[in-house]
Amino acid sequence: MITLNINGQNYQANVTNGSTPLLWVLRDILGLTGTKYGCGIEICGACTVLIDGQREHACVFDVSSAIGKKITTIEGLSDDNSHPVQKAWLKCQVPQCGYCQSGMIMSTVGAVNAGHHGSEIASEVKNLCVCGTYERVKKAIATL
Amino acid sequence: MNANTPPHLGDRDHAHGHSCENHAQEKITSGVNRRDFIVSLAGGLSIGFFLGGGERAEAQAPAILETQVNAYVKIGTDGTVTLLYGGSEMGQGTMSGLAQLLAEELMIEWDQVTVEQALAGKVSYLTGGSGAIKGRYLPLRTAGATARELLVAAAMITTGDNVRANYAANAGAVTYTRPADGAKLTWGYADLAATAAGAAAQALLLALYPPVAPATTANVPLTNPANFRIIGKPVERLDLPLKVNGSAIYGIDVWFPDMVFGVIKHCPTFGGVLTKMPAKPSGAIAVVPVKAYDNRGAVVKDSINAVAVVATNTWAAKKLASSLKVSWTLPASTTTIDSAGITALAQRLLATGTPLIAEPAAAPADIDAQVNAAIAGAAQKVSGVFTLPYVAHATMEVLNCTAKVTFSGSTPTACEVWAPNQAANSVVATATAITGLPATAIIVHTTFLGGGLGRKIEQDYVSQAIQVAMALPGKPVKLTWMREEDFGHDNYRPMALATVNAGLDAAGNIVGWNYKVATPSITAQRRPLAAGAVDSQAIEGAIKLPYNLGAKVTQWFPVPAGIPVGYWRSVGCSLNTFVSESMIDILAKAAGLDGFAYRYKIITDARALAVLQKADEVSQWRKSLPAGHAWGVAISQAFGTWVCEVAEVSETATSLRVHRVACVVDCGTVVNPDSVEAQMQGGIIHGLNAAMWSQTTFVKGVAQQTNFNKNRMMRIGESPAISVTIIPSTLPPTGTGEPGVPPIAPAVANAWAALPVGKRPYSLPFFPGAKMGGL
Repeated sequence: MITLNINGQNYQANVTNGSTPLLWVLRDILGLTGTKYGCGIEICGACTVLIDGQREHACVFDVSSAIGKKITTIEGLSDDNSHPVQKAWLKCQVPQCGYCQSGMIMSTVGAVNAGHHGSEIASEVKNLCVCGTYERVKKAIATL
Repeated sequence: MNANTPPHLGDRDHAHGHSCENHAQEKITSGVNRRDFIVSLAGGLSIGFFLGGGERAEAQAPAILETQVNAYVKIGTDGTVTLLYGGSEMGQGTMSGLAQLLAEELMIEWDQVTVEQALAGKVSYLTGGSGAIKGRYLPLRTAGATARELLVAAAMITTGDNVRANYAANAGAVTYTRPADGAKLTWGYADLAATAAGAAAQALLLALYPPVAPATTANVPLTNPANFRIIGKPVERLDLPLKVNGSAIYGIDVWFPDMVFGVIKHCPTFGGVLTKMPAKPSGAIAVVPVKAYDNRGAVVKDSINAVAVVATNTWAAKKLASSLKVSWTLPASTTTIDSAGITALAQRLLATGTPLIAEPAAAPADIDAQVNAAIAGAAQKVSGVFTLPYVAHATMEVLNCTAKVTFSGSTPTACEVWAPNQAANSVVATATAITGLPATAIIVHTTFLGGGLGRKIEQDYVSQAIQVAMALPGKPVKLTWMREEDFGHDNYRPMALATVNAGLDAAGNIVGWNYKVATPSITAQRRPLAAGAVDSQAIEGAIKLPYNLGAKVTQWFPVPAGIPVGYWRSVGCSLNTFVSESMIDILAKAAGLDGFAYRYKIITDARALAVLQKADEVSQWRKSLPAGHAWGVAISQAFGTWVCEVAEVSETATSLRVHRVACVVDCGTVVNPDSVEAQMQGGIIHGLNAAMWSQTTFVKGVAQQTNFNKNRMMRIGESPAISVTIIPSTLPPTGTGEPGVPPIAPAVANAWAALPVGKRPYSLPFFPGAKMGGL
């Protein structure tokens, strides 16, 4: 049994293999399914979360390395879609299928937290979107 | 604690998004369809609600009774109007677009709309062919108008006054103005719903609006388009609030406390079957043999082409599957399932095969010779040979499906399936075939789709999950294809090899056009084509071209290759438009004209001309491009929608940079201009991925590109600026999900060829073998 601090709350998870990627502990064991599986090899970014404020790819991040750290997932941004990035995304009607957008938003939040502004943010957000929402992601980021 | 038990139920609720600040604003409907998720808009706050594992949520829901007014409309005692959605929301926006049609006629405001995904059944339809709005524009408006008139009829029953002019429906209420004294009475729809659903209201409806034969339903009046409040407006999509906070439930997110998790492990070689069942490894819950799905019907072939490894979580299952040794028996044909061999076969077919004539209709037996003779006599003869690869769908959400089969003893009694699917009724048929249960014992939930692109019409992944659930009675089983399986066992966009021979007269007019394409038939993999029948999807984009082509013929050579093929966003148009619009540009150059001027010279279709002229106008930037940049244009008509795209490109040391794309679309009547724009933007990026990098090659029956590292796709930093212009129209609506795709590959090819140092690309992708690095 391990304890993870996710979105400000402690969770107990029955994890026997510490090298299990954080992604699958979040999704399958804790049922926090907002963080997505896309490629498993750190290329697409659908699994992006923040660990102590830094962007990490949960598909390759050992859960044992997340113990004692503050994990933020898409579910933790706000209770009412009031986070500035969420508001920008809705204003610009960014998502299509929406599957990559958890990671896209978390990457953007991470870039903002790291002190980037305007077009700098866009160059930090490299997540893959097969629907091709990039035009609107750029538009939304420009409002931040 | 058991791994399958959520440690904090409250947080589990949060994960699925129906935690919010103001519970009073939650709109949660109750009743038989509560098992599905509901999208609601309530004062700008949206709540995702998933009852798949949500007994707890059900207990929390306020007791609201609902009345089903008709197949699409339910009204709750709290006034909630719930519209049922029978399609598959995979990003194209039709969950909202169809709700616009209903809400317009039902006379409710957009912020009064709640949408509920219907269980598979009579309102379900196959999501494909860009057909949702096109096919349901009048039927769903009629359904909305019928519900509206039933509510008015209920008010008439209350007052005894059947004069329709004395009633007005507006914003979810019916107001009656009494002629005698002008007094007004108003009822909310909730007050009228029970009466509206009764026999008296139905009878009154038929009396007021007698059916017009052959129809037997009331001939209710539809709203005059001049008075539209919601149709044609850029309303905010209903599903998007759920897609910015992780609460939208895709198939892969279906979760139950007692769920088990499986991954699929296919024979890597197409056509291979299991030699011997491997022993269950330590740590696995089960290893289940899985039979192949036969595309020719909802039946399971008598051949095991995969095993499913089931464990307590997906990662554990993946690790066990990776180390599981499975022996497969490979078919003798394996060596022929090879990209090089398939291309050689297509070349032989083009040279010596017997074609089927796709156009013109009723062609004489010597049409090929007649057209060749016209070309032979031309002032200039021009030809091109074009090759296109197999392409994987690579939806962001990999294939997955959750199923649970309940047994009494050894007999199945019920089956429930949760699937990101484009064909809910096909899922029912698949479940029927595997379980032997009648459709009445099968419940199919369509979740959100993390992209569909045509792949989730297929039933292989659904069939597999149900087979595994049959082996684990009473257990909800989620079966996931890891990305490598998803790339490696797709139903790919078909390869194609095409030649075009054309002749120009001295003035540059086309006097002969002989188009030959060798490509597999998607249809024939499902059911035999009638003798001599042309698969319309193999040749779309190669016929009905909007140009004067002189003596012309389009010939199809079916390629009988062993690679599974499927519907890939825009299907045949994604192949043939690259060929035909590249060739038009090649002829333009031969005639000494640019892409616009030449098309103006030869175009014959008024709508094609209109998108061309508008694209010319909105892409004036192309006349002052920086040195080293060039532009190209292409037109297509796919699924009835005309699109013209202009691309600006420059060459880099190793690649091509697409800087800007101007897109003009004529899709008839527009329901949501913001969604049309989004679909064009997305279609362009999707088409660019395939044009630049995507391909799946095969060596001895094994796919060679099994993750994004070898199937490069565009990232935001290299994506072009895209402008979208919509042609105003009052013609019936046509689709927009796919038509943005076809013109971009030839537009970019034509731009590349126009560069001073450019070259004409005849093959897709432009940059085969490009690698994709990490983030």
